Amino acid sequence: MKIKELNEILNFELLTTCPDSEIVTAYTSDLLSDVMGNAPDDSVLITIQAHKNTIAVASLAGINAVILCNNRKAPEDMLPAAEKEEIAVLSTGLNQFDTSIAVGRALELCK
Amino acid sequence: MGRGLDSAAITDHNSALNCRAFAACCRKLGILPIFGIEVTSIEEAHVLCLFENVEQAETLGGIIYEKLPDIPNIPEKFGDQVYVDEEENILGEVDKYLVSAADISLDELLLIVRELNGLFIPAHIDKPVFSIPSQLGFLPEMDYDALETTVIPCPVQTGDWTLIQNSDAHYLEDIGKRYTIYDTKSVSFPGIRTAIHTKNI
Repeated sequence: MKIKELNEILNFELLTTCPDSEIVTAYTSDLLSDVMGNAPDDSVLITIQAHKNTIAVASLAGINAVILCNNRKAPEDMLPAAEKEEIAVLSTGLNQFDTSIAVGRALELCK
Repeated sequence: MGRGLDSAAITDHNSALNCRAFAACCRKLGILPIFGIEVTSIEEAHVLCLFENVEQAETLGGIIYEKLPDIPNIPEKFGDQVYVDEEENILGEVDKYLVSAADISLDELLLIVRELNGLFIPAHIDKPVFSIPSQLGFLPEMDYDALETTVIPCPVQTGDWTLIQNSDAHYLEDIGKRYTIYDTKSVSFPGIRTAIHTKNI
């Protein structure tokens, strides 16, 4: 599913332009070294780690989009870094668990 | 002093409120005090921020306090967070839980430490928790003054950065267990800074 289609279902706030990349699954974690080692390719990362280094890790791990939960604010330098790496950044007031359920349902990975 | 140290640093977690007492105690013993904070950034990584003067450390302490979440400390559960005078009289207690991560990124913290003319040294980078490599999975290219490691050789790729060792003592008996010898003309903060930058250690 394209990021754009995914967010038509989720309706989260899109903080960057929307790259045309695919999302096939998701990974939920707030420990970036864990994300680096275990996140699958073409995934969306569900996290509260709102800073530039999240983008660096995402780009290395093959993550195409990052959802910032609990209304965590993206610092100034995070979004340009994301644009450069063509990674979408979205924001939601939901917590990581509820976001995971919403994404799982949207991707039809769970009921 | 009994351990033969010429200088020691105080680096409470996210607080500089014991620096004044530390200064007085060091003065009595003729040890050069270095004033610091072990800051927990938003990445939940620990960074040693070291300064020549109490005021610089306290300025950073004030900024960090504002950026800590409003989570109160529960002394029965987490222990006391007191600050004291040089006679160990309790002056007060920090209300916010100091183990929390401050809402400040590593990049933002570096800028503030530079403005305050301090040293920015990622803490215990070889440890599996609360170190930049453990939190991020890598060591981003930043303007570190040095990296602190508990073992040499350091298992993390440290490139050209200067490595230093400190005791990270949480108890009196641990002070001086690990240390770094700086080849410097004078035992002073600028002297130590120069020794670090010129790798004279």
